[in-house]
Amino acid sequence: MTTTENHSKYDSDTRAVTLRVNGREVTREVPTRQTLADFLRDDLDLVSVHLGCEHGVCGCCTVLLDGGSVRSCLMLAVQAVGHEVETVESLSADQNALHPIQEAFAEEQGLQCGFCTPAMVLRTKEILADGVERSDDEVRNEISGILCRCTGYQNIINAVQNAGRKLRCGNSGTCAKEA
Amino acid sequence: MTAVADGEANEKPAYTYIGSDRKRVEDPRLLVGRGGYIADLKMQGLTHAAILRSPVPHGRIVSIDATEALKIPGVIAVLTGEDVKKHMNPCMNFGPPTIPQFPIAVDKVRYVGEAVAAVVAEDRYIAEDGVEALVVEFEDLPAVTDPMKALEPGSAVLHDEHGTNLGYERTFEFGDISEALGRADLVVEDTLHWGRSAGMPMETSGAVARIGLNGVLEIHCNSLNFSYLQFLVATALKIPSNKLTMRPVPAGGSFGSKFTAHKVPTLAGFLALRTGRPVSYVEDRLDHLMNSDHHASDRYYDAKMGFTSEGIITGLDIDVVDDYGAYLQFGVGTHGNAFSQAVGPYTFRDLKYRLRAALTNKCQQGAYRGFGSEVHNWVLERLIDKAAQELGLLPEEIRRRNFIQPDQFPYKIPGGNLYDSGDYPKVLDTALGMIDLAYWRKEKARLREEEGRYIGIGLATTQERSVFSSTEFWFWFDEPAFPITSSPESATITIDPTGAFQLLLHCQAMWGNSPETVSTTIVAEEFGIEPNTVNVSYADTARALPGTGPGGSRYTVMVAGAVRGAARKLKKKLIDIAAHTLEVSAEDLELVDARVQVVGAPERSLGLPELAASAYFFALSLPPGMQSGLEEAYTYDHPYTTLPSADRTDLGVFYPIMGHACHIAVMEVDPDTGQTSFLDYVAVHDAGTVVNPKSLGGHVTGGAAQGLGSTLYEELAYDEEGQFKSSTFLDYLVPTANEVPPFRIGHVETPSPFTEYGIKGGGEGGRMVTPSVVSAAIDDALREYGMRVRELPVKPSEIVATVQDSLARG
Amino acid sequence: MKPPKFMYCDPDSVEEAVALKSRYGHDSLVLAGGQSLMPMLNMRLANPEVLIDINRVTDLQQITRDGDVLEIGAGVRQSVLETDPAVAAAVPLLGLVVPYIGHIENRHRGTVGGSLAHADAAAELPCAAVTLDATIVVQGTEGRREVPAREFFEGFMTNCCAPDELVVAVRFPVTPAAAGSAFVEHARRQGDFALAAAAAVVTLDAQGHIASAAVGVAGISGTPVRATAVQDALVGGPTTTEAIAAAAAAVGDSVNAADDMHATGTYRRHLAVTVVKRAITAAVGNAAAVERNGS
Repeated sequence: MTTTENHSKYDSDTRAVTLRVNGREVTREVPTRQTLADFLRDDLDLVSVHLGCEHGVCGCCTVLLDGGSVRSCLMLAVQAVGHEVETVESLSADQNALHPIQEAFAEEQGLQCGFCTPAMVLRTKEILADGVERSDDEVRNEISGILCRCTGYQNIINAVQNAGRKLRCGNSGTCAKEA
Repeated sequence: MTAVADGEANEKPAYTYIGSDRKRVEDPRLLVGRGGYIADLKMQGLTHAAILRSPVPHGRIVSIDATEALKIPGVIAVLTGEDVKKHMNPCMNFGPPTIPQFPIAVDKVRYVGEAVAAVVAEDRYIAEDGVEALVVEFEDLPAVTDPMKALEPGSAVLHDEHGTNLGYERTFEFGDISEALGRADLVVEDTLHWGRSAGMPMETSGAVARIGLNGVLEIHCNSLNFSYLQFLVATALKIPSNKLTMRPVPAGGSFGSKFTAHKVPTLAGFLALRTGRPVSYVEDRLDHLMNSDHHASDRYYDAKMGFTSEGIITGLDIDVVDDYGAYLQFGVGTHGNAFSQAVGPYTFRDLKYRLRAALTNKCQQGAYRGFGSEVHNWVLERLIDKAAQELGLLPEEIRRRNFIQPDQFPYKIPGGNLYDSGDYPKVLDTALGMIDLAYWRKEKARLREEEGRYIGIGLATTQERSVFSSTEFWFWFDEPAFPITSSPESATITIDPTGAFQLLLHCQAMWGNSPETVSTTIVAEEFGIEPNTVNVSYADTARALPGTGPGGSRYTVMVAGAVRGAARKLKKKLIDIAAHTLEVSAEDLELVDARVQVVGAPERSLGLPELAASAYFFALSLPPGMQSGLEEAYTYDHPYTTLPSADRTDLGVFYPIMGHACHIAVMEVDPDTGQTSFLDYVAVHDAGTVVNPKSLGGHVTGGAAQGLGSTLYEELAYDEEGQFKSSTFLDYLVPTANEVPPFRIGHVETPSPFTEYGIKGGGEGGRMVTPSVVSAAIDDALREYGMRVRELPVKPSEIVATVQDSLARG
Repeated sequence: MKPPKFMYCDPDSVEEAVALKSRYGHDSLVLAGGQSLMPMLNMRLANPEVLIDINRVTDLQQITRDGDVLEIGAGVRQSVLETDPAVAAAVPLLGLVVPYIGHIENRHRGTVGGSLAHADAAAELPCAAVTLDATIVVQGTEGRREVPAREFFEGFMTNCCAPDELVVAVRFPVTPAAAGSAFVEHARRQGDFALAAAAAVVTLDAQGHIASAAVGVAGISGTPVRATAVQDALVGGPTTTEAIAAAAAAVGDSVNAADDMHATGTYRRHLAVTVVKRAITAAVGNAAAVERNGS
């Protein structure tokens, strides 16, 4: 049965949320209308989550939610309760010790202005999670949900492929059997 | 997939760092998500602004009622055109003074999306609540949307003081166009429309302003060029220029969109001054799409070109109306860029150019990669392709017959600009060498015959002007108000007491280009250190030496000149200290791999840490009269510019560092869906000495992708009533990875004789030729249906309509 | 672009969600995957007093096969349909249409029920539902009812739900093993809403003629269209290029689209015929392939 009293639990404009972000549990009081993207940027200082369009097209705010890429501008922070969120800082936040995927982007110059880059790096992590080698055309389609205005995409595709080799065959990125 | 055609490899100076694919020094911070963008800047007590944008294209603001908005907890202030009128001068303006613009509309709105009021609140959510609560009454005025009708008598006038919607008109004639077309065997004519698109970076424009120590207004912003033009922002804000410091913030892309994008920082500064609070105003995507400082060219051409029966161009006659929208903030500078390479890579001498700038109820224009030269290039190449068809010449052949030859440089073109150097046949041959056109031409016929598929081949060239000079700001006018001739760039190199390098650049140079990679590569080349050991920072305007900033493909050339100049001064000081210490003559010393050593006796040497220690801490060990410290600055002026003639028959040299490119595309077009796809694409560019081939290739690819966007997808559209139709990314179609083909890139290197190391600018060329080559390939694929691309973007529905109309006619 | 204020409710049962919907009616909106509603909130084109988030209703996230029916809970994420082997085996068309829904980042959040309830005529799942004669299960305070897909979509972005009703599942008849399915879509960019798209499911008789055909079209009218005139022209006929083209032409009469900045109505009419023709051709090819592989 539904009663007025039942609904009073929804009256507050804020709510305490607990979720895992980059491997650590965090609890914060957030406005119920706050987007996940703003929560990550403003409350947790994870400014790698970039706001490019805030209507779910550009993909610059992409984060991994339980391992799958999602637009964090199209989620409310309160919806992330109990979930695991990863931003690019989860790979490496240390400029001097990049993760192999980040290193592959540097080697291939798969970035110019850097605004879509955290999203592309996270998407790369998701794409490569299956350990399967793929064609350039497959990668092209797989990254097509994130807009890049600088590179024309080719160097990003090269970076994904390079990162795949690094993850499969070690940091040199040379795969004997594939060569 | 980079091919370098380089016949003179043996003659080239050997560089250690210049010319090799090196990782960019900017990238590590970007890869961990610490790009330092404007929205990442936080400070105590920061407030946020949101803007109410006009829903009407043309109207008088009758009233703005902020009562309800001001009642919302967290709303701090509402500012309108009335406040602006009281406390501001008009914004910087390179157009007629009778077309003033303010960052918030005063009295009238002139396009959908123009700012009507700003709400400042404790956060952006509340600011938007405030915007929603504003009540504004407009008195509608007739919307002027067709630029041709705008120029007709009786049209509603946007700016009463200006009195007409003709913002600017002038006809330039170089040579004798009547004679040139008169002696032609063939005159091709066309009516062409290049539609509006824009740089559309993934990061919008933004600024954070606060009142700091001594009451100095500090504006942090991701706009470019404010070392150069800061005083104009101070003027608009009615404050002394030494009470305004503009702090450069790295930008997440610009492509022209942040080039002197002045209204965002000016507005943020105004809001901070009026509220006394730190204010952040970062455009959201809706703000940016409908009101960015910069929509780009929107031109209607009637164009004629004369040819001999051999395909030699005799002259070009252009009549262009440019729909500039409601304001003329940068004058008609986008056409100066067209003038800089008006004849393309071709030898014809006769040119007429009639320009009319129309004012309509649309967003104002500004810069976008190519800055208007890409539009002219498209027109030029469209006409040449039409002539080639009529004369039965292959596209490569008609171009080859008209090329300026390598022994003709430096070459002064009609209009006055100078091309420094080039080898256009070699670029063409390099491109042709990367793709087998004979195969594709056979394959095209076979696929049509056997599989009913439609293949088209396009080939086009472009000039790629670089390194603008400021004379182009004013040669339009017979009596310019401020005939500026400087457009310098500066660098300061400091070696600290431990021997570590600091490099200070004097403008906002980072928007996705590689200013730090380029400048540290030069430092490395000069001192023999690793580029990534140099720390780079950017001066704010309170400390900046003269610096014009990036734009017009100038920064790599200019910063290389500035860094090399500073390096020479600093190297001299190091050698002087070493000479004094080692007690040898300075002439006998050289700087090799971060050590000053005796020529022929490298064991007698001093490293940079030792020399630095002397310079900072052992004044008594320095040569007599030498000052302590190791810091040298250098301001590099434009390497080659001349004044226009008084009668403007010669516009002077204003864009002389001339690159060149040739692209070839093989496309398939589906006549039943209008969908296009690429089977191959090669792009060969000559940007002089290449500093970093992979970076340049990345810029070519990115530019080509944007050119593709302008050609097939992107459109900032208004309907006849002046309503804006492209207000989201579901309507403004930025190409995704699926739409952009792999471009195969080649480089040719013809060093500039006028610049340090022979570098030329290469930032824009990709976008400057794709529209021509894609248009040509589409035409070629559907030639049997009479396809001719005359309007960009060309949409699937237009392609299918052409085919269906042709079939219906039989 | 930030959402306006609303009362945020996140019930964990269908019953509570329905009760909230009943209580707040038109003042409320249901948040499912958020791929359409969140942009509207961010742009403040939607301004509900109450937002009913059904993402915590785990009962809605099941896929169950019951004989000849595959029931997919409204809360199932679209990306699950791409990878779930049970879905591919039972209703192959779903695996073909889902990759065209936005991009993977959208499909990881977007739900089956959300897409159906949103009722965009250019969207893929509504088109598939109409083509496959799916049944949409809605629940209100009076209980559940099942609505045939062709009746569910009432008009432009409008479904037949009462203010207290919620889409809770969609039931797809299992596609016969011998059928061939195909989906062809054209958009300005891949991932955009269709300018026109067609789904086709056909079976062939012993002579290789078309025994049955279901053809649905997206993007050409206010609702997804079932191209019955095309089907009627196909059934019993041969699978020649000419026969398929002649049948496909009949879809032109169903096109009711005005010009917009992406396409003219005339273009959509031509494109509709083209995608229908190509979808049928591909479905026939797949049916023939099934038969070859089966025999």
